Amino acid sequence: MALARYLLRRLVLSVFVVLGVTMLVFTVAQVVPSDPAALYAGPRPTAALIAKARETLHLDAPLPERFLTFAHAMATADFGVSYKSRRAISQDLAVYLPATLELAIFSTGLALLIGIPSGVIAAARRGGLLDRLGGLSSIVAVAMPTFFLAMLLQGVFCQWLGLLPLSGRIGKEFSVIDPVPFVTGFMLIDTALAARFDAFRDAMAHLILPGLTLAAYPAGVAMRLTRSAMIEILERRHILAARALGLSEARILFGHALPNAVGPALTVIGLSFAYALTGAVLVEIVFAWPGLGRYVSEAILSKDFPVIAAAALVVTLCYVAMNLILDMVQALVDPRVALT
Amino acid sequence: MKRRDFLKSVGLAGLGTMTAARWSMAVAEDGAKIFTMAHPAGFPDLSPATSFSNDGAIMANVYESLTRYIPGQGDQPAKVEPLLAEKWDVSPDGLTWTFHLRQGVKFHDGGDLTADAVKQSIEWTVKTAGGASFIWSPVSAIAAPDAATVVFTLSSPQPLDMIAASGFAAWIVSPTVLDKDNAWFNAGNGSGTGPYKMERYEPGQRCILTKNDGYWGKAPFFDKAVFAVVEDPVLLQSMIEGGDADWTYSLPYDNLEGLKAKPELTVVANASFQTLFGMYNVKKAPLDNLKVRQALSLAFPYDDVISSGTAGLGSRAKGVIPAGIWGHDEAAPIPKTDLVAAKALLAEAGVTGADLTMTFATGDNVESVAGELWKANLATLGINLTLQPMAWEAQWQLAKSDPAAAQDIFVMYWWPTYVTPYDYLFNLFHSEAAPNYNLGYYSNPDFDKQIDDAAALSGTDRTKAEAMFIEAQRKVITDAAAVFMLDLPNVHVIRSDLKGYVDNPAYGHVVFVSELSK
Repeated sequence: MALARYLLRRLVLSVFVVLGVTMLVFTVAQVVPSDPAALYAGPRPTAALIAKARETLHLDAPLPERFLTFAHAMATADFGVSYKSRRAISQDLAVYLPATLELAIFSTGLALLIGIPSGVIAAARRGGLLDRLGGLSSIVAVAMPTFFLAMLLQGVFCQWLGLLPLSGRIGKEFSVIDPVPFVTGFMLIDTALAARFDAFRDAMAHLILPGLTLAAYPAGVAMRLTRSAMIEILERRHILAARALGLSEARILFGHALPNAVGPALTVIGLSFAYALTGAVLVEIVFAWPGLGRYVSEAILSKDFPVIAAAALVVTLCYVAMNLILDMVQALVDPRVALT
Repeated sequence: MKRRDFLKSVGLAGLGTMTAARWSMAVAEDGAKIFTMAHPAGFPDLSPATSFSNDGAIMANVYESLTRYIPGQGDQPAKVEPLLAEKWDVSPDGLTWTFHLRQGVKFHDGGDLTADAVKQSIEWTVKTAGGASFIWSPVSAIAAPDAATVVFTLSSPQPLDMIAASGFAAWIVSPTVLDKDNAWFNAGNGSGTGPYKMERYEPGQRCILTKNDGYWGKAPFFDKAVFAVVEDPVLLQSMIEGGDADWTYSLPYDNLEGLKAKPELTVVANASFQTLFGMYNVKKAPLDNLKVRQALSLAFPYDDVISSGTAGLGSRAKGVIPAGIWGHDEAAPIPKTDLVAAKALLAEAGVTGADLTMTFATGDNVESVAGELWKANLATLGINLTLQPMAWEAQWQLAKSDPAAAQDIFVMYWWPTYVTPYDYLFNLFHSEAAPNYNLGYYSNPDFDKQIDDAAALSGTDRTKAEAMFIEAQRKVITDAAAVFMLDLPNVHVIRSDLKGYVDNPAYGHVVFVSELSK
């Protein structure tokens, strides 16, 4: 019951967040100097074509009327067409969003799997070789610019060792020669649905390098945060009691200390998931990954406001959902946190 | 099994599966002949009616126009070649053009290419009124007196054979898809007569074309043509070097020497139809003074910009019309870099110093190099040139506002929608009531009349029209309406085992895949 009430309250608050973002995007679109009609009319348009586009897009309608049209479009998820390509934005999002989500989920999984256990081990072996190595690796992972790390990984694993593919979501064999049908847009799911396990393996191989690149920063930060929180927790009395009871080291570390220490690391990883939705543009460019970041950055450069607005809405929703999930996971993991 | 052994086994199994995946890919590639182009930009619009961008690369393989332009080379003059039209005639007044269609041509959907289909297709493009559909504006009526003959009636005499060869808006599309909207075409659908058919379009990733087995011309060698979107130049280079792509462009000029040294790669460089202009704002002091504009043109470091900006591959712009296009003036009276003469002209004009602003496209390295080198030369003359990089939309908006408040020098490339000198001269220098592309605001009624008259003659008396265009061009040069910075090279990097590749600059960065083999 408490959970239902909590969820309802958060959902109501989310509506205000989304409304605020919608208004903000609309205001920015009005303030920034640009001519949507010229963009809609295509490259090198004639004056007559621009005038026609202005009419088609109702750009001369009064401001409140245009806001209502805009808000209605956002509310019904009918984002209209991109001014630049005239493609339906929902059609584009159906391609770009799954690609981004797949990469973001995969990299978040990697960050969790690498960052948190290595933080625990570093804390348990405080001052030892593993701790020092972990500390150094986390600094390198955090400090190295993502595009550089991406190129480094490509150089080592693709060009030097030849183990992993250079770019894209799936190899030529499964995209050109014998394509895997598009169902969800998530390559791992689509290949599994088609029972194409060789394609599944190939899609997984394509995820590794961009996933690692994106995971480096949150994994590094999570490792540092987990380590310092663990060191503090490991000196608490309940850990001493657990030791006195003769519990195994692993059980003490992962069963009793980690739940109390994992909160900050989860927050960082969760937020970096949301950031990866549009902020991973450099990684997407280097790995030719057809993600939302590339889509939005192109739209921003050409001031394609319908696309920017649609992406802002989708990303806001993802942030809101991610925050909610994080809060719930923390409450689930850490007995001291309650949903109120 | 010990834990360590288990981990070892898992690791080895992982490596094994990855290696196996790569091996099986190579085997599959041997089966189907695939041509892969790595494009540095996406394809925003695949509708043959409104496409007016990089997507021309795809259009030119799926659709065909009535004619095709072949640029002049060496002693060979430029010509218009038959494509879907086998031949054509023009009435003495230049107002009636009759095209005789090739027989036995079928659309991808199985329908026959008929005169009525051509008429409907062009009328559809005109009615859609987007992209480059304005090229058909001289056409007042289209008739199909029989299945193989299309007659165009023009409101003013224009070179319709060249208009019909345009790389945009001149595609002939099957009548069965004319009721479809942009979204349908942009979902990777279409039906033309070209050597390849649309198979799939994955935005941001690739467009895949499949061989058209019923093609009327020579059967294509490649079974599939893949247009991959790769925005990162480093990745583009890795792909062409590693054999993952057969053709690419937009690699940094500085890397070309290294690529030339690789036997498996060939760097194909030739003149493009893109000229870089610096349009002087003739409505604003001090550039409203002819002598100041001439001095600025004399101070431009032409050769240095070509060597630093394009690794020596660009060429000196001989006025407005680049080489390879009829109307090009090899003997144009263009200025040479001469700082002493520039100083003297400034003194004559009574200008001892000035602050000027040059706007150019953000991220364009050639424009940036041109600006930096010019700025250094101008500094020696007491002129301070502020370089203002801007996104195209913002740069263009500023220029279209009040000329008195706009930039002093507007830098941009121009390339023709269809190959005629009128396209350059009309768009860039013809008087405009409200600025659209004449962004130096030059206005000269004599010049306007001369190019309008030349355009009217270009369908019937091309020799005379060409002489008039050249004379008009010299007016623009004498009036120093712009600085003609350079003619940009087209540089494509291809795999050396690719046979039959010839760049046609009339169709920027287009590969006619059916002409290639390995």
